[in-house]
Amino acid sequence: MGGKVTCTLGEVKQRADFIIYWGGNPAECHPRHFSKYTLMQKSKFLPKGRKDRTMVLVDIRETKSVKASDIFLQVRPGKDFELITILRALVKEQQVTDEQIEETGLSREALNDLVSRMKAAKFGCMFFGMGLSMTRGKHMNSAALLTLAAEMNAFTKFVAMPMRGHGNVTGADVIMRWQTGFPFGISFNRGYPRYNPGEFSTIDVLVRGDCDAAFIIGADPGGTMPQPAINHLKRIPTIVLDPHITHTSKLARVHITTAAQGIAAPGTAYRMDEIPMPLKPALKSPYPSDEEVVRRINEAIAKKPFWLPEGSMPQMVTEQV
Amino acid sequence: MSPTASKSDTPLQVIDNATCTFCGCVCDDIQLHHDEMRIHKAKKACVLGSAWFLNHTAEKKYPSALIDGKEATVDEAIEEAARLLHEADMPLVYGMSNTTCEAQKECAALADSLGGLLDSHTSL
Repeated sequence: MGGKVTCTLGEVKQRADFIIYWGGNPAECHPRHFSKYTLMQKSKFLPKGRKDRTMVLVDIRETKSVKASDIFLQVRPGKDFELITILRALVKEQQVTDEQIEETGLSREALNDLVSRMKAAKFGCMFFGMGLSMTRGKHMNSAALLTLAAEMNAFTKFVAMPMRGHGNVTGADVIMRWQTGFPFGISFNRGYPRYNPGEFSTIDVLVRGDCDAAFIIGADPGGTMPQPAINHLKRIPTIVLDPHITHTSKLARVHITTAAQGIAAPGTAYRMDEIPMPLKPALKSPYPSDEEVVRRINEAIAKKPFWLPEGSMPQMVTEQV
Repeated sequence: MSPTASKSDTPLQVIDNATCTFCGCVCDDIQLHHDEMRIHKAKKACVLGSAWFLNHTAEKKYPSALIDGKEATVDEAIEEAARLLHEADMPLVYGMSNTTCEAQKECAALADSLGGLLDSHTSL
């Protein structure tokens, strides 16, 4: 799991008596997270269920999840990294000035209370959402929170887990790690995988206009990405695989309708804690599955000459064949 | 009328412990009641999950494939897609959120054989 201090949702359900949700709104975005895993379930170790658990919500505004929380900490927008850093200092009883605390929009009492509760917990778990990982600081925020979780283990058991949205996006990470060694932002243009987010990540590639064709599957960048990225998708040949005609399909050269995963197409999907789940499709779709279409495209490409000049193959590929 | 009967009185088929792939929770305890055309009920599913299951049908709502906005067969579209991707110097393979791990593995192979880029929603 990439060195992060984490666990499965089953462990959270059985053992976690202290839960922090940071920058997420599970009440509306993951409606069954509370009832199925984190708050309502009773277990051998938490026989009274909700009464045995404490839930802290950290967010920039009051969402519907506040009602489910015991403590709500409203952090000033863009100050998550500062707050996590202050917590890391307070946990280790290092000096923090009043100005530094004031900057986050919270009081020293509230933070001292949080730290003592974290240390008193038997099993703490921090779930972080896009409010943390997609705002100012981005992956540095996630990294700071994961470090805080790791450092808390000097006092008690503590873990952290991202709140993944979008169905099987966790599976994409897992499959790419398995196949290439890297989770996303990969280039094969030297014949072997290289990882460099910022250079090979999609928005950057599209905004700079680096790619000259795009194959979009199970996503709708035409509806979600910034305009310069969409403009580049319009300029280049774009191929879309989707169960619906999406915004991206309308600007694409080729659209192929496929069966919806889990409803009409079988397969596997990963839960946010990286547990694979078999799918049980109910319907028989008139459309082929994504898997079948991509495999057939692969077969069609394999019949064409390799992409090196005159179709010559790199040595390591020839040896394997 | 029993709870599993539809309006036309044909009993619905029931699938126990079906998996919902709408959000990252991937709940695997959903009970689906369906008549092979559409799912009529998704027991235990949340608001988002119910909408996900009930809004998809087995009807042929869209053309099988489109090339330059015109209807085409899947075979033609696959050939055209392969041609366009093969002609490109730096093709991008992107997305992979709303699809199965089996398809994701094929996508990794696609980017590898093209010498292109491979990326998912995670990089956003």
